[in-house]
Amino acid sequence: MSSYKTALSKINLRDSFGTWWENASKRQRVIFRLLMIGFFYALPFLDNPLIGTPETNFQSVLFYPLAVFVAMAVGLNIVVGKSGILDLGYVAFFAIGAYTHAILGTFYGVNLWINIILGSAFAMVAGVILGLPALRLRGDYLAIITLGFGEIVRIVALNLEITGGAAGIAGIPAPPNIFNVTFDVLDPKPHYWLMLTFTMLVVWMYLRLGKRRPGRAWEAIREDEDVAEFMGVETTKYKLWAFVLGGAIGGGAGAIYSSQVASILPDYFTLNVSILVLACVVFGGMGNIWGVIAGAVLLQYLPEKLRFLSETRILIFGLLMVVMMNIRPDGLFPRKKREKVYDKVTGQEISR
Amino acid sequence: MTKLLEVKNLTMEFGGVVALKEVNLHVSAGEIAALIGPNGAGKTTVFNVVTGYYQPTKGDVSLNSQSMLGLKSHKIARLGLARTFQNIRLFGDMTALENVMTGADARNKVGLIGSIFGTSRSRQDEKLSHSRAAELLNFMGISHRSGQLARNLPYGDQRRLEIARALALEPKVLLLDEPAAGFNPQEKVELGDLIKKIRDAGFAVLLIEHDMSLVMKISDRVSVLDFGQKIAEGTPSEIQSNQKVIDAYLGVVENAS
Amino acid sequence: MDFSILWSEFFGLTLDGIVVGAIYALVSLGYTLVYGVLRLINFAHSEIFMIGTFTSLGLSIVFGFTGLEEPLGIVLFLFVFLVMALASGVASGMSAVLLEFVAYRRLRRRGANRLSSLISAIGASFFLVELFRLTTESKDWDFPRMLSKDPVFSISTAYFTLDKIIILLGAFGLMFGLDRIINSTRLGRGIRAVSQDEKTAILMGVNVDRVISFTFLIGGVLAGFASTFYMLFYESTKFNVGFLLGISAFTAAVLGGIGNIRGALVGSFVLGLLQQYSSVVLGYNWRDVVTFVILVFVLLFKPTGLFGESIQRARV
Repeated sequence: MSSYKTALSKINLRDSFGTWWENASKRQRVIFRLLMIGFFYALPFLDNPLIGTPETNFQSVLFYPLAVFVAMAVGLNIVVGKSGILDLGYVAFFAIGAYTHAILGTFYGVNLWINIILGSAFAMVAGVILGLPALRLRGDYLAIITLGFGEIVRIVALNLEITGGAAGIAGIPAPPNIFNVTFDVLDPKPHYWLMLTFTMLVVWMYLRLGKRRPGRAWEAIREDEDVAEFMGVETTKYKLWAFVLGGAIGGGAGAIYSSQVASILPDYFTLNVSILVLACVVFGGMGNIWGVIAGAVLLQYLPEKLRFLSETRILIFGLLMVVMMNIRPDGLFPRKKREKVYDKVTGQEISR
Repeated sequence: MTKLLEVKNLTMEFGGVVALKEVNLHVSAGEIAALIGPNGAGKTTVFNVVTGYYQPTKGDVSLNSQSMLGLKSHKIARLGLARTFQNIRLFGDMTALENVMTGADARNKVGLIGSIFGTSRSRQDEKLSHSRAAELLNFMGISHRSGQLARNLPYGDQRRLEIARALALEPKVLLLDEPAAGFNPQEKVELGDLIKKIRDAGFAVLLIEHDMSLVMKISDRVSVLDFGQKIAEGTPSEIQSNQKVIDAYLGVVENAS
Repeated sequence: MDFSILWSEFFGLTLDGIVVGAIYALVSLGYTLVYGVLRLINFAHSEIFMIGTFTSLGLSIVFGFTGLEEPLGIVLFLFVFLVMALASGVASGMSAVLLEFVAYRRLRRRGANRLSSLISAIGASFFLVELFRLTTESKDWDFPRMLSKDPVFSISTAYFTLDKIIILLGAFGLMFGLDRIINSTRLGRGIRAVSQDEKTAILMGVNVDRVISFTFLIGGVLAGFASTFYMLFYESTKFNVGFLLGISAFTAAVLGGIGNIRGALVGSFVLGLLQQYSSVVLGYNWRDVVTFVILVFVLLFKPTGLFGESIQRARV
């Protein structure tokens, strides 16, 4: 049993890549980045038996669930992974963004670009309203409140007239053509690229924040909130920011989503979605943005690729969460490189 | 000497338990003050009240004549009171450098928006935090640990790191809670020198310690708590011969000197 | 908002609220006991309950009841019912112990933080729900009626049918039994000790592992009995029956003050009543929102609940 565990712990993609990256020159890094970006934009055209999904439209899968969940995982990572705030109701922000575009776009003719901003904004407002009182509480209580909030949003959407009740909203408009690219339900590519661009902007923003003071403040809060406070970190402010930023990202993604699918139902915004996004973060590597993206891709792609997994998707995700927490709580791609460990008393290096 | 930290008539009650009763303490500029007393006397409670974790039932805490009552802990930290903890509480998953930078950040102004847009101010702040942190790691003799995760450091270095992090706040008074716990005699001597070095660098120090020889060797002034009340205050030699103190410790003072 | 039905049906609603509250109470005790010893919200407790419902259902199928027969005589019914309840109690109890062992024990040993434990709990909960969804084809499963539901007597609009009487008597009996266990047995003392101060309990020779397993066992058994009462009253189950019931039971525990046994009981009855009343005033659709809103509000404004644990602990 233990040899199998040591073998498992030796699988460390993170370290091998991490080492390469650290030794790479600036030029190499730029080329790598450009290649990766190019690859992701080109993906819709790379539908072949190797990469493609057998029973569903690959391009459609690229948008949903892949791009959508990656975007949400990036957002939730700021909240759960980086700051340690367990949010079980993340889908609420997604729903707010989706319904914002659904309502304002379909009934009031507001275009998607504005609605992405408005969707994010409303989600942020919701984040503040919920966050201000809730973030004062300890982890488990907070988790339950966020779960409650997620459910409340869904049930309200189910029962209000303006959200279309159980029938939802249909005929949601897509944005007008840009550079001769047509956005519509039938062709997921433009929306995919839109979501991809959105996500990249978000990741860019996150990288800047993560390496600087906010990132340190968030991690300190995650590690030991009381001590962070003693070290001059304004924990209330930063927790709220994490929560609100995460919400904004969810809201923006939601607006883009509703534009692509053109009709939404409250059923699309269940607790399951929150848990699926959480699984991506937990599985991928809490706090490690690349790990989270990789985790989201893996968890959303594999069930599409391997059909038999698809039915039992949530079953496996549940099991995965239990297993991950017990064996590799840091996720598949942990935040930091595995390091030398020193004996506490003698200062001698301990071999692993 | 100017009194930096003043604790006046501090009373702290938790439900029915009186943890501190009318305690008066002060720390003046340039001194190493020690707070000693048997276990459970309330010493860490003093730290907790002074740093804003608890609001006192009665009494006042002031720093440079400014009252700290009702202020949140992060504000108090930025106004000049930084502390370490009895059981080391580092940010385990962050590197040593990052730990100290977190403290150094508190001295900067730029927050979230600036950081996103990478304004020149934020880049300057970042460089500043970085260099301050590096300096402090050097000062504490643990530069070589800079890139390592705090939880992987050996014990002695962890203690030093915790002190470095507190110093990054550039406090007026540094509160050390049993910094020598778990050290062997050699390390305790080094620690004593380190604390003196800190004092000489311009920080006043308030020290909670159980190791009497360390306390007696480096402190300028010692206050003794027992059952939440101050029972004596004076120079180390005065305290050592104080009958009340001896009684409170039941002979521990004699054994250690 | 329509208050007329509330007044006209008041006694009936109150009786139903107490009956439902009794079922909640048995389940909420599981949440509150586990929280007391582990400071963990056992997310998967709702599925422990669900397992009990399917156990009772399974037994009814095994016994060959289809609901089309004549109602059983009271004595025979009680016998059958007791067998089902015991079986569900055992099934749920054992599931709970297994759950602790698989999902939480390792984390506890490692001193893992709350986030990890909560995620593990959620994972376990989802696993169980999906397991049953796949094996029970996500449809409603009906429980055969084996007892006549004609009212035995009534007070105004409160119709005391046999099932309600049995549930009330059974639930109160169980609560009394629990009280005896907590207060008069060694393991019960162990539970109280670990709830208050785990480190000292260990020093006093308490076998914490065993106490914790026992706590899960008790919680599970109570949920198992509750599940049989549930089947008797509602006559149907589904793979996700645990979700809403669990939220209600959990809300009840929080309302009363999580970690506090008396609180769980009071909270359960209060919630049961509030649910009944609000469903006629606001309409059945909004009933679940009411539960969530109560939950959110209590956690936001009085997380210690009615009888709760100290504020300091809720913060840190």
